[in-house]
Amino acid sequence: MSDISYKDKGSILGPFKSLSFFSRKPVTEPFEPRIAADNYRGFHVNDWDVCIGCSTCQKVCDNAAITMIKIPGLPDDPVMGIRNERPAIDYGRCCWCGLCVDICPTSSISLTQEYVHTCRENELDSYFILPDPNGMHNKLFPKGWSKTGDADLVDLERQPMAEMEPQSRSDNFDEIVDGFTKQQAIIEASRCVQCGMCHDSCPTNMHAPEYIRAIWEGDAEEAVRQMYRTNPFSHVCGRVCTHRCETACSIGRRGDPVAIRWLKRYAMDAVSDERVREIAAEGKADFVSGKKIAIIGSGPAGLTTAFDLAKNGHAVTVYEALHKPGGMTRYGIPEYRLPYDRLDADIDVIKSVGVRIECNVRIGSDITMEQLRQDFDAVVVAIGLQQGRSTRIPGSDHEQVRASVDLLRMITAGESFDVPESVVVIGGGNVAMDIARSLARMQKSQYGKVAVTVSALEDFDHFLADPEEVKEAREEGVVILDSRGPKECVIDKNGKLEGLTTLGVISIFDDDGRFAPSYDEVDEQLHHGGMVIESIGQMSDISLFGEELTEELEWNRGRLQADEDGVTSVSWLWSAGDMVHGPDVVHAVADGHRVAASIETYLNEGSSNNE
Amino acid sequence: MSEHAEGHSASYERIKSKKSLAEILEVATSFEQKAFEFYTDLIPKVSKNLRWLVEELAVEEQEHFALFTNLAKDPSIEEQVKQQIQTPVEDRRFSDYIQLPDLGDNIDDQAILQYAMGREDAAMKQYRELSDTTEPGAIHDLFEFLANEETKHKQELEKLYYELIHSGGPGN
Repeated sequence: MSDISYKDKGSILGPFKSLSFFSRKPVTEPFEPRIAADNYRGFHVNDWDVCIGCSTCQKVCDNAAITMIKIPGLPDDPVMGIRNERPAIDYGRCCWCGLCVDICPTSSISLTQEYVHTCRENELDSYFILPDPNGMHNKLFPKGWSKTGDADLVDLERQPMAEMEPQSRSDNFDEIVDGFTKQQAIIEASRCVQCGMCHDSCPTNMHAPEYIRAIWEGDAEEAVRQMYRTNPFSHVCGRVCTHRCETACSIGRRGDPVAIRWLKRYAMDAVSDERVREIAAEGKADFVSGKKIAIIGSGPAGLTTAFDLAKNGHAVTVYEALHKPGGMTRYGIPEYRLPYDRLDADIDVIKSVGVRIECNVRIGSDITMEQLRQDFDAVVVAIGLQQGRSTRIPGSDHEQVRASVDLLRMITAGESFDVPESVVVIGGGNVAMDIARSLARMQKSQYGKVAVTVSALEDFDHFLADPEEVKEAREEGVVILDSRGPKECVIDKNGKLEGLTTLGVISIFDDDGRFAPSYDEVDEQLHHGGMVIESIGQMSDISLFGEELTEELEWNRGRLQADEDGVTSVSWLWSAGDMVHGPDVVHAVADGHRVAASIETYLNEGSSNNE
Repeated sequence: MSEHAEGHSASYERIKSKKSLAEILEVATSFEQKAFEFYTDLIPKVSKNLRWLVEELAVEEQEHFALFTNLAKDPSIEEQVKQQIQTPVEDRRFSDYIQLPDLGDNIDDQAILQYAMGREDAAMKQYRELSDTTEPGAIHDLFEFLANEETKHKQELEKLYYELIHSGGPGN
């Protein structure tokens, strides 16, 4: 007997009821979809010209429905924040939540009103698609769910940075920028979409997404730990880095890039110096290798090399010709941009892992290169670009025509000099801005007014100094003239410097795009100044090598020849930093890591061969 | 400046006295040859890190030497010169106010470039003056051509000067 109730079985006439359907007309739904709502979440489209391959859509997708596909032929430029990848969607996983659209930093991706796709069994791969602007079936369906102001998950505005007003900073060297509060830092960190464009663009590949996430989680110590994976100059870079990371930041495509440099500064300032030293020492070798390395120059390149090698258990001695370590970061960057105590904090960390720094020792005279070769297993030369170039125009050999690097060094060292009531600076780079702004402060402090004129060859569209440097210099009373070529330092009949005459520059580039200034001799101006400061190019003083070693070494268009790892043409000598690659702190740090790794390999190979 | 340098007054008189294209080119070629020899002699006298620059200057003079020599052999020399001077070469004057150095024992890369630019400038002015004081015709065109060549060379040196002295070196 059946245990199914009569009501559940239905009527005994049921089969006949079904037969009645045979007499009905079949119903066929058309393949073409019906009109969908304006914000319908159909299949994806992606504008490849706008998409930068940042992978933020992939990272936000909870269903792991998005895979980034490398597309040969598309632009791939880490420095500019562009990857040759585009998102592909697996519609077996996609739930059409639209988060990929809401978070897309560029607004390149959106959903359409198209929602019908079917296929035969052997075409199941057709549910895995690479959206392009034409839609899934090359039919231009209207846009559905797209980026709107209400649904945009990207915060386009950065947290404001408090800084001293021009009137309160113009007669002193106090640091201008206040830095983020904890709350500001967390809000700013929350703007990051963790795409990693910053990491790819950074010369030393700092783990910025990781330390930004740690800041957002309120864990400044973890942020510092992430920084010290690649950068022992985090205080310095938190203040004066050229921040290529921010140029590459995907949020910068539509709004303000995340303030990555200021976040780094926040985390470093939030953790005590003692705790930073403990974090930096994590992973230090618990043995002594018995190997000795000499490093000439205590700038970022030399000290980064020293930091890595000391952590690996080697005995590292850094020789510095000047009174204090730091190289151009100390003697070239004014304190209003980089307070000396923060530079000292970075250097103390490096010393704390065992690096020995001997100041006031000039290699080449106090100790010869030959002595270093004999006494050490490896030698690194990282002396920077410490000499200023001269224009060598008439009158440029007058005693009141000075080099910016010399004056900046004197200001840092506390050496006095007569500050003129009016100054003309030749040059348009950041060093020119540094000396102009430093002298403006000294003038304001001594005379109550500023009379500094900067005369640059380049026009403002191609200016070498950072825009913020130009803006702040102007706020402090510095007059900046573009497209002016130096003609002569004018000296009166009594031998006193009157100023600088310049000519107008009427064109900047030649047909090949090379800088080739052309002068207009009719447009001549005299800029009065009791001092003219030359701030054009810089170069290394290579006299430390002596004639014999200079002859033995190979050179590349005037620069010491070295491969990517800093290996020179003699087996015991490496080079790093500005003297090889030009002036930039973070590049010097990156260089230091490469050189340290190369020396480590060299020392290990030597040990293996001796076994 | 060296007595052999183009632009020297004796050189001016020497080339001015020539009356045929072949003779003028012969003298111009000899100037280039002397410049080539000057730079070649200088190479071992400068520090090794500076030799690349002097070597480049020597090569450029050699190229000019070859250009003028080949032109002298060309039967259609007048037509060639006429074509070449269709496009005037602008003197940018960027290096006009840079002092001419004395190439003593302790020379640097900047002094070498200063000297080279001064040399090209003097040659350019010499040929330009010869061109200006010559009646229109084949000889005038040849001086114009030679002035253009020296101006182009001066321009190239000025670009290198900017890159080396004003922006920290090539590649930056």
